[in-house]
Amino acid sequence: MPAARRPAPLQQKKNAIVLGATLSRWTMSYFAAALIAFLAAELLMTLGYGYPSAPVESASTLVLVHLVVLGWLSLLMCGALFQFVPVLVARALYSDSLPLPTLVCLIVGLAALLLGFLQMDGFVSTVFAFFPAAAALLAIGFGLALWNLGRTLWAARPLPLPARFVVVGLCSLAATVTFGIIFTLVLRGVTDNPHLADVVANGVPLHAIAGLGGWLTFTAMGVSYRLLAMFMLAPDLDSSRSRAGFYSGTAALAVAIGGGVAAICFAASLTLALLAAGLLGLCALVLYGADMLRLYRARKRRVIELNSRMAAFAMAGLAASVILIVALAALGFFAQHVAATAFLVAFGWLSGLGLAKLYKITAFLTWLECYGPVLGKTATPRVQDLAVERRAIRWFFLYFCAVWAATAALLLEMPMAFQACAGLMLIASLGIIVQLVRIRRLLDVGVAMRLPPGIRMPQLLRCSVQHD
Amino acid sequence: MTTSFVDVDVRPILRAGGEPFEKIMEAANALRPGEGLRLLATFKPMPLLHVLGSRGFEHEMRELGGGDWEVLFSPSATAPKSAEVDVPEIGDQGTWPEPLRHMDNRNLDPPEPMVRILAATEEMAPGEVMSALLCREPIFLLPELAKRGHAWRGDFEPDGTTYKILVRIGGARGTPQPDAA
Repeated sequence: MPAARRPAPLQQKKNAIVLGATLSRWTMSYFAAALIAFLAAELLMTLGYGYPSAPVESASTLVLVHLVVLGWLSLLMCGALFQFVPVLVARALYSDSLPLPTLVCLIVGLAALLLGFLQMDGFVSTVFAFFPAAAALLAIGFGLALWNLGRTLWAARPLPLPARFVVVGLCSLAATVTFGIIFTLVLRGVTDNPHLADVVANGVPLHAIAGLGGWLTFTAMGVSYRLLAMFMLAPDLDSSRSRAGFYSGTAALAVAIGGGVAAICFAASLTLALLAAGLLGLCALVLYGADMLRLYRARKRRVIELNSRMAAFAMAGLAASVILIVALAALGFFAQHVAATAFLVAFGWLSGLGLAKLYKITAFLTWLECYGPVLGKTATPRVQDLAVERRAIRWFFLYFCAVWAATAALLLEMPMAFQACAGLMLIASLGIIVQLVRIRRLLDVGVAMRLPPGIRMPQLLRCSVQHD
Repeated sequence: MTTSFVDVDVRPILRAGGEPFEKIMEAANALRPGEGLRLLATFKPMPLLHVLGSRGFEHEMRELGGGDWEVLFSPSATAPKSAEVDVPEIGDQGTWPEPLRHMDNRNLDPPEPMVRILAATEEMAPGEVMSALLCREPIFLLPELAKRGHAWRGDFEPDGTTYKILVRIGGARGTPQPDAA
């Protein structure tokens, strides 16, 4: 009888917070900020800003690199994690209000960092200490993100395998930020500790490995285990092979970062540490590749959606990056082509996977936000009705072809061809972003179904749970 | 201080295809202050960890071999906010009627399982129960059920791959409020 039930909406709401996942309020804002940085970086590359027109270590290349890895990839990853860590651990996010101040700190910190690089170049002539401001803001921003995600994960122990990848990714993020802070402190003359000075002189590869390899790649690997299994109706993998991949990848990062720092401080061979880490990392990636092949083969869904097909292209990008690194290292050309391999990792693998998953995640979150409250009560569109895949696929193909051609142009040292390819990447990305905005604004849903009674158009940048 | 543990072995119930949840919750409710619960099960009882976690229990898990697990639930050192984060639906001790509807949603593309369950809840009367089989924990469905006032009980079957959820239709339907500000 109804009277026997506890009419306690507050308690029911708390129940919802404890079990299951709800919409992350600010994830769309992270995605929007990330995509703006992505377009800005592609525009700069098209205009010939930074490498290969300028040296790898120039201020303009540093601006470009940080716009891509902080502005685009890290904001994308943070936004995605605020939504998907709760899904991975079936538990609500520790704080739903921290992501907004986190985003503000990260964006302002990134702006300060870029201005700091421009100041280094003499392009900005004010005396304001941009580097320390950037270090403080980015440390606060990433610190808040780590705290929020860390508390969520800590409360959900024991963690499933994908979440353990995320934990290692977050530790690598902490290491990356720490390296960054050390660089700014030493370069600004705040400290003259000889060990820290050595880290600045020799630690740039470690900063890059911790960021691209640990934070971005390892986290993306973990999330892909769950997302691909979910979207292709494949079983969740937690086999001894998956665990072996996880442990060897974790060991690779520990050897590269911990061993690397020790090698620098004790004047031992950094190359040896990186070689050992490289072999462990290779093992991890081979095992991960085998697992991904198994996921695609074991799927129950025979016809897979665009996001899963495009994720396969991104993983091909990762495989190609690994082959390229091994081949260049074997031939002794790695140092010469380090930028080309970093480019392929950032745009072929990480950005490719990010765009593919954004296409699905945007549609799913928008669908859930908009139609979740009235599911079963009235006719609603399906998730796939929010997107028109045949229109989006052209832009994805153009994007991947342009990235591969751009990598070839870098390897062949053809800067003009690289700029042309970057232009094509920009056009393709704009095409994909237009599709994302169309999804968010429900423009491809038939008018009759678009807004059932009581349903409002979702906001572009903020998820709200309607009728809450 | 050492915690004394009350043993609850639900393996015979699970092997007989039964539902041990009520027995576990009864045992948990009967614990004296400072006492813990030693649970023996045939799989990792993940949802239970969350439920007892919200009641202020910490847990340690150990695989016993043969797929069996031992979980030690001990009262948390930090003050639990058990009254605040009670889980009324799951902690509901009453016996539920037999399900009137059964659905096998294991081979449906997400989010179709969620859509079908919510559609079915709209067609049923208050107090009626439905059951559904899923291929994963319905993360986004659970808050929606709670919001609509329905009670649910769910867990993985002993095979570890099928998630079975029972939904009991609530009395007050959560109808959309047009343009609720």
